[in-house]
Amino acid sequence: EAVSLPHSRGAAGLAQWVLVELQGEVEPRQSGRLAGSLLGDLHYTREGVPVLIVGHHILYGKVVQLEKPFAVLVKQGAPQPGSAEPETRYAVTALIKTKLLFKTRPKPIVTNVPKKV
Amino acid sequence: GAMRSRAEVDATLQTAKLNPEELLPVVQCLSFGPQTGPAECCLLQLEPGLCAELEAGRSLVIRGEKDEQVVLCSKDKTYEMKIADTSNMLLFIPGCKTPEELNADQASCNIIHSEIAGFSNNYWELRRCRPKLKKLRKLLMEDPYEGPDSQKNKTSTFSKYTTEDLLSLVQASEEEILHHLQAIDACKIEGYWRIIEFDYQMKLLNHVTQLIDSESWSLSQVPLRTCLEELGPLEPKEMIEHILLSYGRKYLDDAGEVYFEMREDKVCRALGQMLLQNAVKFNLSDFQEVWQQSVPEGMTTRLDQLKGLALVDKSSRPETIFLLKVEDLPEGNQERFNSLFSIREKWTEVDITPYIEDLCAEKQTVGALLTKYARSSMQNGVKVYNSRRQIS
Repeated sequence: EAVSLPHSRGAAGLAQWVLVELQGEVEPRQSGRLAGSLLGDLHYTREGVPVLIVGHHILYGKVVQLEKPFAVLVKQGAPQPGSAEPETRYAVTALIKTKLLFKTRPKPIVTNVPKKV
Repeated sequence: GAMRSRAEVDATLQTAKLNPEELLPVVQCLSFGPQTGPAECCLLQLEPGLCAELEAGRSLVIRGEKDEQVVLCSKDKTYEMKIADTSNMLLFIPGCKTPEELNADQASCNIIHSEIAGFSNNYWELRRCRPKLKKLRKLLMEDPYEGPDSQKNKTSTFSKYTTEDLLSLVQASEEEILHHLQAIDACKIEGYWRIIEFDYQMKLLNHVTQLIDSESWSLSQVPLRTCLEELGPLEPKEMIEHILLSYGRKYLDDAGEVYFEMREDKVCRALGQMLLQNAVKFNLSDFQEVWQQSVPEGMTTRLDQLKGLALVDKSSRPETIFLLKVEDLPEGNQERFNSLFSIREKWTEVDITPYIEDLCAEKQTVGALLTKYARSSMQNGVKVYNSRRQIS
């Protein structure tokens, strides 16, 4: 089977997203749904250093231009009616050329977010 | 719950003992969107050139049947896909702004709410690979075209393949597929790609070479128009033109007339194949004599025209030659070498090269392949290669 990855053309072409890379896992402070919960506040210093406040932790990071950009693939669609197997379709929704890389302190990050599903 | 306010953000800064004066005025509050789930989105790391292709509006295609390992194809390249795990958490955020973007933005707001679209701890990695074209030939060989008189045309229930069919079944990019179709002299008949059955090819070629002979044409000045006129009663015109395109080089003369320069190497090779496929092996000198006599006058046969098609056994007395087609051998590297070493224990580099050069990846040499998959030794002053492992 061939799965086509057409891209969704916005008015300005493919969307550009940003990747935020955190070390370790994200743990919930209390169990609850992932949806809608806050991760934290993202600031930048006047020198352009990203500062992320997550729960009771301050994370300092750096802006990295990715040598190899990412494409974000989104699974979409329902199986075609009448087909023997469900066909998996992906679309390229966005490109990521920049990431914010953060390093943690020894203590785990604690947030309102449930443990990784 | 309610969205975070600037006052709350400032309170947090105070608790964190951070000086707002040292920060840009805009804060981005990141939260998980209502639809966030790891299964919905995934990341694909792009090799050089692929990003530009996507931005230019072209698509990428993932191809693979259930028993095949998936590959990703751009318009002209093929890549193997592999999952890479990271111990880090990767969050992808559509609205997230970089410091440059915030500085450039003239808006006066001091708080932005951004939703995290998804997160992952792995991504797809790509590695350029050879297109998997053996299947293409296999599909077309299911039902080779044997000519208009063939009974098979009326009763054939075999699959025939359009370009779209091939694109969905073959793990290669469109350009690689179209290029290979040309290399194997496939042609479109009634919208389907067909390989012309070898015996029928030889029948067509024979018509052409006999006409060249009877008209006393130069081998490099074969007129299309006359071929179609003289041979049209015998075979479909599309087939006559196709055989000329396959075995000749097309050009126009000053008057715009189409001519062909017959390709000596290709004609001789085909006639050599025709002779060889009728016997298990041939006495080499007998073969060379019969072969030279079978080619059109003015053409000269040479053993190197048979590279990748036939193999000479110099160890037998007398020397013999037998058919060995590279396209009949396995596609995978290790399987190819196993197969070659089971046919012959020790190979010289000259002999083995035509049977492995199609395995070379981008920028890989035959020497590198030999170093990896074979062991070398000296035999009678000549370097030979044999298997690294026991072949049963």
